Amino acid sequence: MEILKAENLVKVYQDNGVPVNALRGINLSVSKGEYIVIAGPSGSGKTTLLNLLGALDKPTEGKIYFEGEDITLKEKKELSKMRLHKLGFIFQAYNLIPVLTAIENIEFSMMLLGIPDNVRKEKALALMDELGIKELADKRPNEMSGGQQQRVAVARAIVNNPTLVLADEPTANLDSVTAGHLLDLMEQMNTEKNITFIFSSHDKNVIDRAKRLIILKDGTIEKK
Amino acid sequence: MLLKLAWRNIWRNKRRSIITLAAVIFATLMAIAMRGIQLGTYALNIKSVVELFSGYLQIQEKRYRDNPSLTYSFVVDKNIKEALNSTKGVLGYAPRVYADGLISYKDNSRGAAIFGIEPEKENGVTTFIKNINAGKFFTSDSSNQIVVGDQLLKNLDAKIGDDIVILAQGFDGTLGNQKYKIVGTVKFGVQELEASLIFMGLKSAQSLLDMGSRVNVIAIKADNLNDLPEIDKSLSAKIKNPDLKVLSWTKVNPELEQSIQLDNVSGIFFLGILIVIVAFGILNTVLMSVIERFREFGVVLAIGMPQINLTYLVYLETIIITLIGLSAGNILGAGVNYYFILHPIVFGGELKQLYEIYHFLPQLKSTLEPGIFVNVSLSILIIALVSCFYPAYKVYKLEPLKGIRHT
Repeated sequence: MEILKAENLVKVYQDNGVPVNALRGINLSVSKGEYIVIAGPSGSGKTTLLNLLGALDKPTEGKIYFEGEDITLKEKKELSKMRLHKLGFIFQAYNLIPVLTAIENIEFSMMLLGIPDNVRKEKALALMDELGIKELADKRPNEMSGGQQQRVAVARAIVNNPTLVLADEPTANLDSVTAGHLLDLMEQMNTEKNITFIFSSHDKNVIDRAKRLIILKDGTIEKK
Repeated sequence: MLLKLAWRNIWRNKRRSIITLAAVIFATLMAIAMRGIQLGTYALNIKSVVELFSGYLQIQEKRYRDNPSLTYSFVVDKNIKEALNSTKGVLGYAPRVYADGLISYKDNSRGAAIFGIEPEKENGVTTFIKNINAGKFFTSDSSNQIVVGDQLLKNLDAKIGDDIVILAQGFDGTLGNQKYKIVGTVKFGVQELEASLIFMGLKSAQSLLDMGSRVNVIAIKADNLNDLPEIDKSLSAKIKNPDLKVLSWTKVNPELEQSIQLDNVSGIFFLGILIVIVAFGILNTVLMSVIERFREFGVVLAIGMPQINLTYLVYLETIIITLIGLSAGNILGAGVNYYFILHPIVFGGELKQLYEIYHFLPQLKSTLEPGIFVNVSLSILIIALVSCFYPAYKVYKLEPLKGIRHT
């Protein structure tokens, strides 16, 4: 079942008044349960593409359909709601909220959805247990290692059962062993919970595990 | 969760929050102490001046203030006495007659302002009798004894014990004259005033002016300045004569009120400057803390937090920090004001003399008037909310991606 479709995506940035073509006509279709890695050298447009697919940015040209709806036409407020309900994000620098504990970070998006306190606590703890990070519940980000923070970030991304999780270079700041454990975890979530993952990465560890690999070069898809 | 986030964000950069708190506490304390001393001293001065002569309130014929003529006089009837005796907050009253006249001693004549008073009643209302400079004050309101201004005695080239003649136009328009004995002089520190003042008994004045039992004014002493509107309302309702009017000291002595208002404006202006400085301090720290967290805000926006919630968060943090600062500032301000109530700043030397010329007590005293605390707190809270509008607006306009990319 197709959940995401990009048609002829073009993104042009202005860099000090000079137009930079980040994406030059990308066409892409993503089905439910896929595990996709977008790879390519720096400046190839991986993060730009991921940002467009995650409704964090708008294309200069082209259309993006999420579950059949053209999200390029949606208002800021609708996009925010869509991200909250349907998408999960994992960032390269973990980006946990520093003043919240691990469990509070995981609860955060549930809180935005208005889920009652006791329900979200129970759900967050169950997920932390599943991901093997239950003992981190009361720790703040500065008390956790990079790998632990990224696991919490994964839990935060999937706790609302999103349709799609977008992970931008999730292993870039991790050593290979920790990165391996994290990828195992995400693969497991993909297999067991049928969560769709799209990664952007140039990490060999990530690329090797791709069930579908998309290679970008100079803003175009070189290989699907 | 928003409250938890706001609270933890405040203490995340302790030094910055403590500096902001200190600014709010300092501004609140300064504003409360300044206003306390200003308003406390005004109250002291007003009390001192109204208790000297005019009274807190006066009952007059309604046209008398604009046209102080004997025609606009009235009889202190049973209804007026009952109204005065039954009104809560009225501590005493003294009927008076005011008139212009001519005083002559040998070949010297001078214009005079005649005040017919009842010394016994005045003692319960005013303090001017204590301003006796030489001789004594008469005690009977029907004797032929008078007290004159110190300068008037000098101008007449007379001395205490001399007989003088006063000529004045009576209530019916005819001229009346009578002989009186000077028994004392008063001094108020204003030579102009002392060159024309004559105090005589009420009945003597009524006889000289052929007024029967009519008076021009009833001066009233109240238990405090704050109750004047209520006393005014109550008296006005009880007095049946539609030609009579109750006037507060502000109407009777508008110059005093104007000078206080003028001084008050300068105080408020200074207070405004203080609050604006604090506003810039708050703006600076809130803006810094917001810009520092752009990346974090970008992430929560990406997750799906509504933009308006982030704006609430910025406001919540400002409100919490301002309320803490206001609470501490109010407690400290109350302490300072209480200290200056117990230990007023007393002037000496030339400043003391200057104050005494205006019949002010030469001291600065504070007050714990609740209005000061409420007004200062509301002003600082409002200015804090206004000053965090710009940072909140920046957050409201923040794009998730711009926030995430912010370094």
